[in-house]
Amino acid sequence: MSLLDEVVSVPRRTMTLFFMIDTSGSMMGNKIGAVNDAVVNVLPMLDEISETNPDAEIKVAALEFSNGASWLYSEPKLASEFVWQDVTAGGLTSLGEACSELNTKLSRSGFMQAASGSFAPAIILLSDGGPTDDYKTGISKLKNNNWFKAAIKVAIAIGDDADLKVLEEFTGSNEAVFTVHNIDALKQIIRVVAVTSSQIGSKSSSAGDATKQDQVVEEVKAQIENIDGAEAATQVDSSSYSDDWD
Amino acid sequence: MIELKPGSKVDLTIGGQATVIKELGRGGQGIVYLVDLCGQKMALKWYLNPLGDKFYKNLEKNIQSGAPSDAFIWPEYLTLKTKGYYGYIMKLRPANYFEFGNFLLAKKNFKSFDAMLAAAMKICDGFMMLHRFGFSYQDLNDGNFFIDPSTGDVLICDNDNVMPQGEKSGIMGKARYMAPEVVAGGIPDKYSDRFSLSVILFMLFFANHPFEGAKVVACPCMTESYEKKFYGSEAVFIYNPNDKSNLPVRGVHQNVIRRWPVFPAILKDNFIQQFSQEKLKNPTTRMIEQEWQKLIAKVRDSLVVCPSCGEETFLDTTSDECKCMNCGKVVSIDRYIKIGSRSLILTPNTKLYIDNDNVADALVVSNPQDPSMLLIQNISGQKWTAETPSGKIKEIEPKGFMPVKTGIKISFSNISKGEIIA
Ligand SMILES: [Zn+2]
Repeated sequence: MSLLDEVVSVPRRTMTLFFMIDTSGSMMGNKIGAVNDAVVNVLPMLDEISETNPDAEIKVAALEFSNGASWLYSEPKLASEFVWQDVTAGGLTSLGEACSELNTKLSRSGFMQAASGSFAPAIILLSDGGPTDDYKTGISKLKNNNWFKAAIKVAIAIGDDADLKVLEEFTGSNEAVFTVHNIDALKQIIRVVAVTSSQIGSKSSSAGDATKQDQVVEEVKAQIENIDGAEAATQVDSSSYSDDWD
Repeated sequence: MIELKPGSKVDLTIGGQATVIKELGRGGQGIVYLVDLCGQKMALKWYLNPLGDKFYKNLEKNIQSGAPSDAFIWPEYLTLKTKGYYGYIMKLRPANYFEFGNFLLAKKNFKSFDAMLAAAMKICDGFMMLHRFGFSYQDLNDGNFFIDPSTGDVLICDNDNVMPQGEKSGIMGKARYMAPEVVAGGIPDKYSDRFSLSVILFMLFFANHPFEGAKVVACPCMTESYEKKFYGSEAVFIYNPNDKSNLPVRGVHQNVIRRWPVFPAILKDNFIQQFSQEKLKNPTTRMIEQEWQKLIAKVRDSLVVCPSCGEETFLDTTSDECKCMNCGKVVSIDRYIKIGSRSLILTPNTKLYIDNDNVADALVVSNPQDPSMLLIQNISGQKWTAETPSGKIKEIEPKGFMPVKTGIKISFSNISKGEIIA
């Protein structure tokens, strides 16, 4: 047996992609249906990025929040092993509790215990409303969490009722908040954001000055130019759209 | 429309059109499509997030100057811009070539050390030709190289980010492969390319990263600022003899732990040199491609097939006894060809590389009538001339054989002459 046959894969870091999904009552109907559909469709794409990437493997974690906050699985899973259970909508918008829950898991005793180390996670927050609980406490905990500080953070505001200020506070910049106005745009942006943040987040960082967060925002911006009914939150001119959620 | 659909046509700057057949793959920058160009199947790289005019003009210039060597899958035709979007056309990559990343992920393995060394040579040659053309890489990484695992032949792809030296394309490479001064914000040039070359070669030979050892594993979250430290300002080679803080970790960096002991000392010493603090900090002192090629040639000269187990082994001919790295049995080094200062050990099934073209010229085989006797087969395209100890002149045609007998002098070409010692 030659030494060459004994080769093993290079050690890879882990990049965890978090979906934080608002499942409050207002999401009921085709919004939540679109989220379920988009995530199911994006998982195989994430699996492919992970499989061919010598820098890191990608794991997925998902947290839904309404009256409370709960994880879909008790640990991050490889995209290929993540069987998406459709989430259903109903109840309030406990974003504060979701932030506290995320804060607990963003630790080595929580979800970030990969043996050969991790890249900073990517976190995608989806919401169509404003928090109904004390979100300030939750967010302030997160803002002191080093994993959160280093993370790629993107928020998707679904429709005009989403509280952009809160989403902006979560991501740390209004540039990283993207608004969608129809079902198709919602599905597309979930794909674009999940794929882009996974691609950039799971690779050794670029030698240039642009941070991973900057790169994700730039790339998502460029791609949504072609999505009808999606906009970067900086150009807040949603008056030209009439929300269409039937 | 940003993405193209089967049947869509793109206009080329030289006139004419290419028709999209299907998508072949997509990456961060764009999508690669299979296209038909006047009946020929080609690949089209289509940018989803096109860079500015400078990038487009650079592509145009690169297309005009042509590929530095046949190792490059080079942009051949440029499309006109459609609403700011554009792409370029290149040859298709043959199916037997696999991305270097697949080798790192152990999805593909080199068939032999012989193939691995051929790949290393070809990569050096690619860099040399690129620099000779006045270009340098901007975004060098494991996605640039496609390798045939059985022959070690290499194709260098993604050459859109090749720029005249001193210029910046705007696409920056991964910190893991870039020189410390580039990680720190500098402009890539041939000196930083030479650093990247050392990293690529190290990973090719040892299948782990030269700076990823204990220090890096201990870092739970590789944030961007840590990356800038571990691959830039505070990079420490895992086998730095003066700083053992970053040694490879058992169970994590398995490949390098297994392979480092078996490669010839000349290669290891050179990596220690190239990754020393001095060379990390002084770009102009890094080894040039031709020197790498000479070194790899020496490593290749020490590679033979073990007569006992039939596997390849490196031999350290300076030691008292040469032992096979696989089976541990002694390998006789009594029979060899002397060419200048080189000694090519002759064992059955060993390939000999006489000149510098990275193609084997001779194959040692056992004489079927008497297996204790060896023959050398001419597998080059050129006729050799041999002179026996008694002065007889023999010609060895391509595919022909000659015996391994002491005192025979061989002219492989006008410049390279050898003598058999047996
Ligand atoms: Zn052996």
